[in-house]
Amino acid sequence: MADRIYRNFIVDDRWKYMVDGLAVTLEITFFAVIIGIILGFVVAIIRSTYDKTGKLKILNFICNVYLTVIRGTPVVVQLMIIYFIIFGSSRDISKVLVGITAFGINSGAYVAEIVRSGIMSVDNGQFEAGRSLGFSYIQTMRYIILPQAFKNVLPALGNEFIVLLKETSVSGYIATQDLTKAADIIKSRSYDVYTPLLTVAAIYLILVMTFSKLLEIMERRLRSSER
Amino acid sequence: MSGNGILIQVQDLVKTFGESVHALNSVTADIRRGEVVCIIGPSGSGKSTFLRCLNRLEDPTGGHIIFDGVDLMDKKTNIDLHRQKMGMVFQHFNLFPNMSILKNMTLAPMKLQGKSKAEAEKEALALLERVGLADRAEAYPNQLSGGQKQRIAIVRALCMKPEVMLFDEPTSALDPEMVGEVLNVMKDLAKEHMTMVVVTHEMGFAREVADRVIFMAEGKIVEENTPEEIFTNPRTERLKNFLGKVI
Repeated sequence: MADRIYRNFIVDDRWKYMVDGLAVTLEITFFAVIIGIILGFVVAIIRSTYDKTGKLKILNFICNVYLTVIRGTPVVVQLMIIYFIIFGSSRDISKVLVGITAFGINSGAYVAEIVRSGIMSVDNGQFEAGRSLGFSYIQTMRYIILPQAFKNVLPALGNEFIVLLKETSVSGYIATQDLTKAADIIKSRSYDVYTPLLTVAAIYLILVMTFSKLLEIMERRLRSSER
Repeated sequence: MSGNGILIQVQDLVKTFGESVHALNSVTADIRRGEVVCIIGPSGSGKSTFLRCLNRLEDPTGGHIIFDGVDLMDKKTNIDLHRQKMGMVFQHFNLFPNMSILKNMTLAPMKLQGKSKAEAEKEALALLERVGLADRAEAYPNQLSGGQKQRIAIVRALCMKPEVMLFDEPTSALDPEMVGEVLNVMKDLAKEHMTMVVVTHEMGFAREVADRVIFMAEGKIVEENTPEEIFTNPRTERLKNFLGKVI
């Protein structure tokens, strides 16, 4: 046991791969989540506006293409297309940035459909009440519909971000040194498969559990404001 | 404000759903300032559609709605601005469930009329006091009974200081014992000469409070008169038939 820890983490400061990898994984996830939320909300609002009013036809079409393509292809393939084809000519681009872009765009598609279902689940009477008070369409969305929609879809959104965190483990395909890649590197130097992989698995698990707990607290807080 | 000026002038209002359903068939009517108009009629007669067209919650297919001298059907008219002056109360209350009663009432005045929080809350509390619900200011909608919710919905609309109040079957979703408390609030409003248009099945209310009753059937105004005439001296077969069933 001590020997394994020594070979995998102590020699040549190999633990640094893990720490740096964890930092990269968290960095990609964090910024991808932000891009995903912004993109997702914008697409969801466009799509539900079209559903409700028939306006924004062209934007809705573009959004549909985006959703179809992103949800119809594997995220690894998207990641590699963005790195090798779209940024193919500029090889000095930061791989972390490419990861953030790819996972953000990917996540946005899923967030969009989650948020849209949330918007559609809010009773139309809420919408009419807002409009009848004199709020514009956008104001009604912002002050009345979205806060309720957000609360309704929080569990599904949380789940999406857990999936996203774990999906970033394919970053190694473009040689990004994230947490999973760190295990890969260590294992190729220590000739031990168990320790690095199980350690990495444990770290992901702890991250996801922590995140789930935070979500649970947030959900409870949002719900308690109602009764 | 002038006593008998016309506040809303409805001309040849048409509303069709799809090709075949004519919900409103060229309806023309005037609503005068300070008057209470009750709209009665069988279900499917277009009375709710008519009311919802007045603030364009339902988009009319044709015709004109002149409110305060402005044609609401004109594409250049900022409908949001005019809706601020037309309060609306719904059958199903439509309070915002994620906000306290006070927040429900102060949201629009603060965001749309630029009132300060203190000012909006002061006005809201005064209105709550009037309907006997001042102690529920911090409660949430799902903690209230149906009658209380509807009283809140009425004062929420009043917070915007509207020139007219539109009521869309305000007591239809209530348990019978709660109808009275809501009607009483509406009666008080009528006494203060609020202009009111009320779609209702409460014939007693129409008879007692209305200045004028409009009877609609099949998307048209069939009879329009004082409540006295409507209820004691109906002229058309349609109205006689209808009153025979509901009274």
